[in-house]
Amino acid sequence: MEESHYLNCKSRAQNYNPPVDLRLLDYVSIYDNNLMCAICRCPFVDPVVLSECDHVFCRDCIRQSWNSNTSYTPLGPRGDCPTCRTPAKLGPRSATSKILVNLVDELVVHCPKRDDGCKAEVRRCEVQDHVNIYCGYTVIECTDDDCTLPVRRKDAAQGCLHFGVSCLSCHKELQKWKLEAHWRSECADRRVHCDMCKSSVFYRDLEAHRKEACPAMSVSCPGKALGCTSRSKRGHAELHAKSCTFAKLAPVLLKQQERLDEQEAAQKEMSRKLEVLEGGFQNMQGILYPPGVETSQRSADNSLTPSLQERLFGSGTAESTTPTGTAAGYDWTESAVDEDAVSPAETMHTAFSSATSPRQRAAPLPPGPRPADLPEPFSSDFDIASPTGFPPPATNGGPYASPLHHLLSMHESLRDEMTRVSSALSELDGRHSMQILNENLRTREEISYLAAQTAGLQRQVHWLTSSALQRQQGRSPTPGASSSGAGGAMMDAGAGAGVEAAVGAVSTAATALRGAARMVNVGGNGSGSGTGTGMRRGTSEEGRTKL
Amino acid sequence: MASTMASSANASSNKKSSAPSSSTNNANVIKRLQSELMTLMLSPTPGISAFPSDTDMTRWSATVLGPSSTPYENLTFKLSLAYPSNYPYAPPEVLFTTPVYHPNVDMAGRICLDILKPAGKGGEGAWSAVLNTGSVLLSIQSLLGEPNNSSPLNGEAALLWDRDQVEYKKKVLARHQEPAELEANGS
Ligand SMILES: [Zn+2]
Ligand SMILES: [Zn+2]
Ligand SMILES: [Zn+2]
Ligand SMILES: [Zn+2]
Ligand SMILES: [Zn+2]
Ligand SMILES: [Zn+2]
Ligand SMILES: [Zn+2]
Repeated sequence: MEESHYLNCKSRAQNYNPPVDLRLLDYVSIYDNNLMCAICRCPFVDPVVLSECDHVFCRDCIRQSWNSNTSYTPLGPRGDCPTCRTPAKLGPRSATSKILVNLVDELVVHCPKRDDGCKAEVRRCEVQDHVNIYCGYTVIECTDDDCTLPVRRKDAAQGCLHFGVSCLSCHKELQKWKLEAHWRSECADRRVHCDMCKSSVFYRDLEAHRKEACPAMSVSCPGKALGCTSRSKRGHAELHAKSCTFAKLAPVLLKQQERLDEQEAAQKEMSRKLEVLEGGFQNMQGILYPPGVETSQRSADNSLTPSLQERLFGSGTAESTTPTGTAAGYDWTESAVDEDAVSPAETMHTAFSSATSPRQRAAPLPPGPRPADLPEPFSSDFDIASPTGFPPPATNGGPYASPLHHLLSMHESLRDEMTRVSSALSELDGRHSMQILNENLRTREEISYLAAQTAGLQRQVHWLTSSALQRQQGRSPTPGASSSGAGGAMMDAGAGAGVEAAVGAVSTAATALRGAARMVNVGGNGSGSGTGTGMRRGTSEEGRTKL
Repeated sequence: MASTMASSANASSNKKSSAPSSSTNNANVIKRLQSELMTLMLSPTPGISAFPSDTDMTRWSATVLGPSSTPYENLTFKLSLAYPSNYPYAPPEVLFTTPVYHPNVDMAGRICLDILKPAGKGGEGAWSAVLNTGSVLLSIQSLLGEPNNSSPLNGEAALLWDRDQVEYKKKVLARHQEPAELEANGS
């Protein structure tokens, strides 16, 4: 009776505890790779050696591999070796497989109930016995005679534990015998130890703790983007940030980078605007100074100024170096002194005579001996204090101490006048362009109005023509008109031709008007300030070619 | 009654000790995939990486670097792998998630490769249970540099491969998107 009860128990226990799947076991130590089945990647379970190629697999693995891709064969399981694709079939167990069996049987594994709390480590061949007979975490039938519910073997001595309790932490309702497992692995409110910092935290908070609070978690320096590669534990990160230049700079540089990006964008915008403006400016210049009109005068101005300044400056230095007489400049000074009597005046003279402008010609150079106090007129004081206004050279030539003096003052006043003239010119230009723009607008309006009118006219004429044609067609098939038909038709034809000619004229007028409108448009777009008629003709010519 | 309790007991205790059913199969698949992951992490192959998704161990994403001195040089390709419940007896389903211009890859990223088809059916499949994630990715990497032009999914690419390698490379680069771009595009 006792024995039968035990057997009964055991069979039912096995019901609760199915045979251990050896492939799901965790191994205590690292095993040799040669003991690993290539299919299940576990140490062999019931290994077989394929006699055709000597590759070894678990019996179940090779069977399933063959079953899944070949239909049933009456000659027993056969197929290709999964590793080398040699056709093979399962033979009887060989000596090789016996050695392999012994090797894998000796491997030490953790009890499959390890997650439930069993700390046993057993040889793989004994693991089934451990679970069936010894393991305290194996589920068996309750020892209470009236109860058939499962209970863990180690708790069986405590009597029936199949009554409801609630977890103290999370208040979940469950049976007493499950409470321990609940506490171990399920309860969200159980306390667990953070494996980084060893502090005890709620299981539900563990992830957040690891991510945000754990002082042992290593975090990278805030200056990582700037190149600091340091990683330190969160607890030490602040310490590092205090000493790390990168970390201190990071917020500042970040802001700077933002501003830099902003500025860059703004600059791009500006440069685009500038380009547009430059284009407009160049157009304007092209209109203001059309090639061949004012070029000669301008070039004269341009050529005069640098040459004159150059010469003045050159002789000025020559004179000023004379008193000091440095060793390096000696030869040069010497030669300048030798030609003292004539050369500066001569150079001035050539300078002015080489200039083509008639205004410069109007100031004749009175030839005469150069005065002794030559350096004085070249001093900078003189330039600033030079008399303003334009002195007429013919009448006011007298009061000047020297011809050179006179010339210089003349040059000064000329320059002033030039700037005045140029500013006046630009002002005039602006006004002119405005005027033209306004005029353009008006003209365009007029033209569009005219175009609309012409279109209306065209429609009217068209209507008239079509009605005339209809009338003509209605008349020709009448039998009475056959005698005078020829003449009538001729007359009608003539009238039709006339009307058609009129229509043609109107439509050509319309196209001409459209062309004119486009012309004005081109003129307006291109410059906004077409001055001369020649210019306008030029643009209209351009417009026509575009048409 | 006892049987229902038994099943609940199985569910509450670890999956590892449950009966040989589909769930065991799944446990075996996961066990094998963990072993593969271990191997990939411990002895990584240059140019290849693979990692399971956070939630599902049977869905992995992988990256493969284009083989050098091919039009795919220096390009990174992302793939997705889905393992069936009877893995490794059936091949994983592998797709390119990066758009790839290749004779054996179609617009949806499907790959025509013999080892990705189950063996025995019609003879063209060559999947073997001893193959694994690493070997599959290696095969795909070498397929990039050595397309099988006899059975192309992308006929234009197959023709161009033989005719004009410069133009081919242009097309490859035009189709390609780096993983960062791919994420930016939200696909
Ligand atoms: Zn195996
Ligand atoms: Zn073999
Ligand atoms: Zn145990
Ligand atoms: Zn009980
Ligand atoms: Zn609880
Ligand atoms: Zn911690
Ligand atoms: Zn730092």
